[in-house]
Amino acid sequence: MPEPRSGERRLPARRAVLASAAVGLSSALTAGLSGCSTASGKGGGVSLTFAWWGNDDRAARTEKAVRLFEKEHPGVTVRTSNAEFGAYKQKLATQAAGGGIPDVAQLDYRQVSQYAGGGALLSLGDIIEKQQIRTSEMDKSFLRTGSYEGEQYAVPMGRGITGYAYDAAIYKKAGIPTPQPSWTWQDWAEANRKIAALGLKSPDGRPLTGCNDGGGNEDVFEDWLRGRGGRLYASQTRLGFTEDDLTEFWTFCDRLRKDGSVAAARDSTQAKSTETSPMGRGLAAADFTWDAPFPGYPALLGDDVHYAPVPTTGGRQGAYFKPSMLLGVGAHTAHPKEAVALVDFLLNDPRAGDILSFTRSTPPNRKIAARVAATLEGAEREIYDYAQKLEKYGLDAPPTAPPKGDIPVQIAFGRAYQRVMFEQATPRQAARELIDEANRELRS
Amino acid sequence: MSTVTTGAPPRADDTTPPRPASGRRPRRERQWPAYVFLSPWMIGALVLTLIPMAVSLYLSFTDYNLFDPPHWVGLRNYTEMLTEDPRYWRSVGTTLLYVVIAVPLKLAFALGVAMLLRSLGRGRAFYRSAFYAPSLLGASMTIALVWRALFNDGGSVTHVLDAVGIHTGGWIGNPDLAVYAVVLLTVWQFGAPMVIFLAGLQQISPDLYEAAALDGAGRWRQFVSITVPMLSPVVFFNLVLEMIQSFQVFTPAFAISGGDGGPADSTLFYTLYLYERGFTASHMGYAAAMAWMLLIAVGVITLILFRTSRSWVFYADEEGR
Repeated sequence: MPEPRSGERRLPARRAVLASAAVGLSSALTAGLSGCSTASGKGGGVSLTFAWWGNDDRAARTEKAVRLFEKEHPGVTVRTSNAEFGAYKQKLATQAAGGGIPDVAQLDYRQVSQYAGGGALLSLGDIIEKQQIRTSEMDKSFLRTGSYEGEQYAVPMGRGITGYAYDAAIYKKAGIPTPQPSWTWQDWAEANRKIAALGLKSPDGRPLTGCNDGGGNEDVFEDWLRGRGGRLYASQTRLGFTEDDLTEFWTFCDRLRKDGSVAAARDSTQAKSTETSPMGRGLAAADFTWDAPFPGYPALLGDDVHYAPVPTTGGRQGAYFKPSMLLGVGAHTAHPKEAVALVDFLLNDPRAGDILSFTRSTPPNRKIAARVAATLEGAEREIYDYAQKLEKYGLDAPPTAPPKGDIPVQIAFGRAYQRVMFEQATPRQAARELIDEANRELRS
Repeated sequence: MSTVTTGAPPRADDTTPPRPASGRRPRRERQWPAYVFLSPWMIGALVLTLIPMAVSLYLSFTDYNLFDPPHWVGLRNYTEMLTEDPRYWRSVGTTLLYVVIAVPLKLAFALGVAMLLRSLGRGRAFYRSAFYAPSLLGASMTIALVWRALFNDGGSVTHVLDAVGIHTGGWIGNPDLAVYAVVLLTVWQFGAPMVIFLAGLQQISPDLYEAAALDGAGRWRQFVSITVPMLSPVVFFNLVLEMIQSFQVFTPAFAISGGDGGPADSTLFYTLYLYERGFTASHMGYAAAMAWMLLIAVGVITLILFRTSRSWVFYADEEGR
């Protein structure tokens, strides 16, 4: 490219600057707004759409089960689509706004109220009564997690539970007994202090602490709250806890972090995955986690990592069986009969159960779960046994599906605690702010 | 332009050649082909810009969650934002801090590199392209993720700083430093203003410098008395563009914070909060209201810049004013 000789080009005039300013400004309005397109298809006979989210293993297993369904139902073709969770959520929301979600859709617990309340889901009450979707092998109170205002809109596909991944070798070294279902938050705090007192170092030379900081994790708070007989939500529009409850919880966490018993603030904020969490980096001996991702811990950190119950208050367990995901039928489906048949097949057919295995946590159908569990080993077997053990120990019934505003509240929870961690707010100030924000979310 | 002698400022109309009186009708008849050729653009502007803007304005007065039809709430989104939402003001503060630091830094850097390049003889084209490259890459998600890895705990930047005795820990996890990781990413993409500065610098007549040197002006004096005033329209152009862009910074903040504006809201830029309100919390009406507030605010700041520019920007075509 030849260099322009001096004086050949004119300096930009005022008018040109104005014009480009206007162009730049108008893009401010459209910035951040994007849509998702949906695939459309054709086919003779009945064509169903089925969408879900998940990893490659889940995708492969789900495809295989769907192909089996097609074979059993000649004339029915199922067009599947899947994505990772974040993209899936937005795609489904856009489809709902555009007038229709897929015939069969995998739903998150937190989506049930929003989609059912917005009229996007078919009511399944009659269908379940007529046994078109069989639920006799499912726990009744667990089934209720798919209801909204007393009406069933979705059926759980998998049963998850919270727990506590810990390094048994470090626990032994610190002289801490193996955590039992009745161990208390005081026992837990004491265990963390003992581990910190060992004076062990992480690979990069920083002190090893007892546990990841659970203060920003709404699930941990919910377990803590339920162990005291409380709950996160009193109704679709009201919180179930007070400023005092949350202040107490955050003060408890804050103190443990300040005395070095649990992981430091900057390590907690950088945790985006098991690998980058304090436990994954050798900075903590334990972490709160769901059962489905637990097998990733021993895979990363070795076979000394085991799965223990969440601490209790006076023996009352706060953990509960939560649907890891649910299945719903689109309200505007053209083929409700076939869509319902697909839902029933995925949940109750033993061959589908074998194919799908534990890819969505424990199958809610007890018979299928027991049948598949017999083939499991290692960490997967451990989480199945863990769930059985806690069920025997006795858990309080799960809450109904969380209200529409729950997703932003959950995010706000972690953020508000970050303000405590970095000493930008006291536990009480942060609790006040979180409750204000949550009330605004629930009101609208 | 020098032909205008009446003393009135030159206007666009004056530059059109005088048309013969009899030629008026045919000229008008021949206008339709212009509109035909313009129509793809006009349809695009209407469907993709003007109608969405109108819808966005309407939505900003509603409560809309994508599921239920929008429901009119008047000014509530605006009053809630201004009086009840502490995070809104936090996002405004973060964005202003970012604009005030990143824009001058980036422009200074771009001007510095442009002046170095001007003094370069051979290989200027190569270096110009090389320095421009980060601007082509910088807006992408990939680079933002690389940035995140660089500034994380145990990332290269922390290692280098540790080696020279500065122990910062990971910037990404530290609310006092995270925003500067984003600032550095922005400054690194100085290519576009640099190219414009370079073009501007090359238009300053060497005669001016020669004359100044003869009068005994040193390098600094030449910079202050010749380069700066002669370049002022280019500086202004870059300033306005960068300012508008910086108010809309999104991708780097989204990637570096992992999408949540953390830690402790320290990278919660305005657009990131807007996105969170709209697409995570499903408050499309609130998000639309935020977009309009941004438009108004950036518009007002641009207007102020234009007003003040009269006292410091020197336009070649305004000679004699």
